[in-house]
Amino acid sequence: MTATQSLLAVLLTPLLSAVLIAFFFRRMGKVASAISVLAAACIFVFSLFAIREAGNETVAFSWNWLHFGDYSVSIGFLFDGVAATMLTMVGLVGFLIHVFSLGYMANDQGRARFFGGLSIFMFSMLGIVLADNLIMIFIFWELVGFSSYMLIGHYLDTDEAAAASKKAFIVNRVGDLGFLIGIVYAYWHFGTTNLSEMHGIVAANSQWVSGSIATLLMCGFIGKSAQFPLHVWLPDAMAGPTPVSALIHAATMVAAGVYFLIRIDFLFPVEVLQLIAWLGTSVAVYAGFCAYGQNDIKKILAYSTLSQLGYMSAAFGLGYPGIALFHLITHAFFKALLFLTAGSVIHGCHHEQDIFKMGGLLKKMPITAITFLIGTLALCGVYGFAGFYSKDAILIAAGLGNTPVFVLLTLGAFLTAGYMGRLFWVAFLGQPKSDAASHAHESPLNILVPLIVLAVLSLGGGWIGFWPEQLGAIIKDNLDHLHHMEGYAGMHKTVLAAGSTAWIVGLMLSLFFYGAGAKEDRLEQKAAPIYGFLKARLWFDEIYGYYVAKIQQRLAIFLSFIDIFVIKGIFVRGSAGLVGLVGICSRSLHDGNIHSYVYWFLAGLLALWAAASGIL
Amino acid sequence: MTVGLNAFILVAALLFAIGLFGVILRKNTLVIYMSLELMLNAVNLALVAFSRYNGTMDGNLFVFFIITVAAAEVALGLAIIVALFRLRQTVMVDQLTSLSR
Repeated sequence: MTATQSLLAVLLTPLLSAVLIAFFFRRMGKVASAISVLAAACIFVFSLFAIREAGNETVAFSWNWLHFGDYSVSIGFLFDGVAATMLTMVGLVGFLIHVFSLGYMANDQGRARFFGGLSIFMFSMLGIVLADNLIMIFIFWELVGFSSYMLIGHYLDTDEAAAASKKAFIVNRVGDLGFLIGIVYAYWHFGTTNLSEMHGIVAANSQWVSGSIATLLMCGFIGKSAQFPLHVWLPDAMAGPTPVSALIHAATMVAAGVYFLIRIDFLFPVEVLQLIAWLGTSVAVYAGFCAYGQNDIKKILAYSTLSQLGYMSAAFGLGYPGIALFHLITHAFFKALLFLTAGSVIHGCHHEQDIFKMGGLLKKMPITAITFLIGTLALCGVYGFAGFYSKDAILIAAGLGNTPVFVLLTLGAFLTAGYMGRLFWVAFLGQPKSDAASHAHESPLNILVPLIVLAVLSLGGGWIGFWPEQLGAIIKDNLDHLHHMEGYAGMHKTVLAAGSTAWIVGLMLSLFFYGAGAKEDRLEQKAAPIYGFLKARLWFDEIYGYYVAKIQQRLAIFLSFIDIFVIKGIFVRGSAGLVGLVGICSRSLHDGNIHSYVYWFLAGLLALWAAASGIL
Repeated sequence: MTVGLNAFILVAALLFAIGLFGVILRKNTLVIYMSLELMLNAVNLALVAFSRYNGTMDGNLFVFFIITVAAAEVALGLAIIVALFRLRQTVMVDQLTSLSR
């Protein structure tokens, strides 16, 4: 099998699975889940084939899809080191989450729909990973949005899920508008949307870099990766099933925004990079604060995801796309782990999600608890865990490049340790605080195995020296570049000290402040205004709600008024009415009485005479 | 004594007026038809009188044509009225108002 064939197999297997499920196995949950998991396994195997066949070469392949006059749209693959790294991660994490879903969704009514959704999601996500031009990326981007919509709204009988899926879809549309305009602009500017061709043009002459194109394309990233100011959809998206939150809203889809930036990093001028760095830093800190105001285990993790996405975009904005990719990969491992363990907890606690109603889970669910702890330590950046390497690299890059960003990101690391500590201490230690938690039981094996594998990856996923040679070349380049920068040694020590202090202090403070297995949020009791402020999340939802309900809705009503009264009322109905009126009047002349015809004839004659003689 | 042109014109105008009022006021189709013929012949009379007065044959020529055409027209018109009566059992115009609907 050549590399191209393997890649085609990677892309088409999940599509085939989705089609099979959609057309034949809608009512057969077992068959559908087996097909979907098998497809996920095939994706991973074929990805390995493709990587082995491709070696260190870039596989570029494209064929014409549509012709419009002298313009043609092509679809194709650009399979380089970045894509290979991402593909491996998506394939591996995707497969593990599929396996997890087998156990987690075992008793769900809509199992076939769920697994069909997962397959269509895998198809769209892999399309983004492999795409070689902006238009193809956009198509799969929208498909990813659709499958996200479908899976968030999986529990379609709850209002929360319906509203959340709609919100995710609409907020993403806002960003995608900019993306779409950016693609058109890029085509007008470069004459192509192919990534390699654009790279060639820019590499030959850096004058071709355009800030507006970069900014417009960045809008798509802001929507998909839930950055400021379009971050509001991600926490709500937790209404979906937990595997979906793990796969789509932590490990892969939201990271697709960052991946997209890495793919087109040559298009970005310094000013836009600065903007992205600041956007990311502000989200990293903002989401860290928001997490303290949440009691739902998944919402805390959602804010943590937001915060880590902020780290990735900060790394990208500082000019290190490789380090952003590094954090993307390690984050995918440990955040998928955290979400899946959260899923295992929710499964064990009979769908209880409030951490203050859990407690004592360490004894009841030891494997889940230990894997969760590993995920937490990896997220906090404890030395040796996967998160440490990527986060430290980001902090060093910030320390050498931009001191305010460095300070804020260190604060973010401290906040991360604090809220993760709060989550762990409260939910897993102490005594059970509700019936659901006291009846908690360890999850079955098909839930635990993915957790253990992901825990191993969260432990060792950051040891980049042990990665296969084909993967992560850009990461190693960036790290090398960082190592040879002036002041690296000193900064390394500073970051090591600051980062370690951040997580130790964060974890300890949260333990002392909240207490192991606390029954109530101590912050809420002691400092209600601060807690209220954190819970309010800077009132973004309220502001958007106000804007939509009061401003946009009024404009819509006004436009609808114009439509109904002016266009429909006056122009359409009005002209028809006028013609009808003339008809009614002239029809009344026709009364069938021959004498009145004679009178009219006479009157006509008189009028003719008057006109002929010049009186009228 | 010769009768002057004015007398002819007066008679023709009277005949025409009688025809016109007949058309306007009578309800029977047959009578209206006769009134129409009266108006036609009033015109004929006027044409002949002018022809005589001018000493040319133009008016007479017209009148011959009109008489011929009118003969054909009368035959056709009476046939239509007969057909109408067979269809509707009436020739009164106030009952022949189906065009109003």
